[in-house]
Amino acid sequence: MKVIESKEMTKVYGKTYALNGITFEIEENKITGIIGRNGAGKTTMLKIIAGLFKETSGEVRVFSEKPFNNLTVSANMIFIDDGMILPASLNLKEILDEAERFYENWDSSLANRLFDYFSLSPNQYHSNLSKGMKSTFNMILGLSAKCPLTIFDEPTTGMDAGVRHDFYRVMLKDYLAYPRTILLSSHHLEEIEDLLEDILLIKDGRVHLHLPVADLKEWAIGLSGKKDLINEWVKTKKVFHEKSIGHNNLYVVVKNDFTIRELENITLSGLDVFPVSSSDLCMYLTQKTKGGIDDVYNKAKSDKYS
Amino acid sequence: MILNTDGTKPIYVQIAEWLETEILSGSFNSDQKVYSQYQLAEIFNINPATAAKGLNILADGDVLYKKRGLGMFVSNDARERILNKRKKHTLKKLVQDLVLEAERLNVSEEEVFDMIKNVKRNWEGT
Repeated sequence: MKVIESKEMTKVYGKTYALNGITFEIEENKITGIIGRNGAGKTTMLKIIAGLFKETSGEVRVFSEKPFNNLTVSANMIFIDDGMILPASLNLKEILDEAERFYENWDSSLANRLFDYFSLSPNQYHSNLSKGMKSTFNMILGLSAKCPLTIFDEPTTGMDAGVRHDFYRVMLKDYLAYPRTILLSSHHLEEIEDLLEDILLIKDGRVHLHLPVADLKEWAIGLSGKKDLINEWVKTKKVFHEKSIGHNNLYVVVKNDFTIRELENITLSGLDVFPVSSSDLCMYLTQKTKGGIDDVYNKAKSDKYS
Repeated sequence: MILNTDGTKPIYVQIAEWLETEILSGSFNSDQKVYSQYQLAEIFNINPATAAKGLNILADGDVLYKKRGLGMFVSNDARERILNKRKKHTLKKLVQDLVLEAERLNVSEEEVFDMIKNVKRNWEGT
């Protein structure tokens, strides 16, 4: 069953396209990582799926219904981010009680155990919590609601390394016990990639890649060695990233559609072959130029001397 | 085992290799049930789909066999298959790297043979 279907989802703010035709589908009970640079459109997309924003155009379906102002979607979905506005007059315990009244699958035992584990106190108010504590409380809400669609938009903002580690662990354990569809956006792919099944890479308001994380690891490959030799091998390939190492050496990241035989020959010709980590690859794919930040300096230099 | 997440080897391959080593070391015997994808996910803190992929490599290589609804079990000839595979792939790759490095350093074949023999002698001597 498909939980989310999006066809040409577009959102325009004034004259700026925040989303420019997002098309994808998400199957039930998968954990999908939403990855993209700042301003790529991740949050806008997630808020449209959650029914908090209305799309400018395109077809969006969540549980086969239009999400905006939709009670079915609201009851079966929870959206967690660091800008959650919770009633200022209720303390933390009262917020949990209200959540229990609203969410059908609410797990109050889990909520209480997490509440104690992370040393939150029931009489505190949400607005008085520190950044990290706020995120921790929001995470408890998100997990205890046990919603068929659970959306975490940058849930770990402000959390220290220990709490982040605990959060990922408890999310996975709870998912194993109660499988559900989870969307998780983060800037730290290296921290979450092992938890994910699929990855959705957003670039400039569009879907750039949507594939299993395992495939992403083998999607590209890094080659390093003598410049001439490298250029010979990659002249017909798409180069995602390029870095000069000294005068004669080069490191390139290219799409890995080499055959096993070719890869053997590459190694035998004296080049080094490296796997490219998912987070590095996503960074290269979303960069505007092949050389990255180095280009800024190289350009300045060549302007000066020309 | 702690998973190596720096990207040098896919996680599902590491899971498959870990299970292979467990079988070789005798933790699992023939026709014994191995961990399910969910148990592996819990043990290594990974997505169960990744764990399933690791199990499937072993099933494709006939190291494990599936019983519908019951899980994955160790094949009779699992040990031989694992040893064979490691010789054909892992060892071959290591030898390739060795030969390549020897070539770069202008080390002759005889010298390489001698180095191998020396290492073995040292181990046997201790």
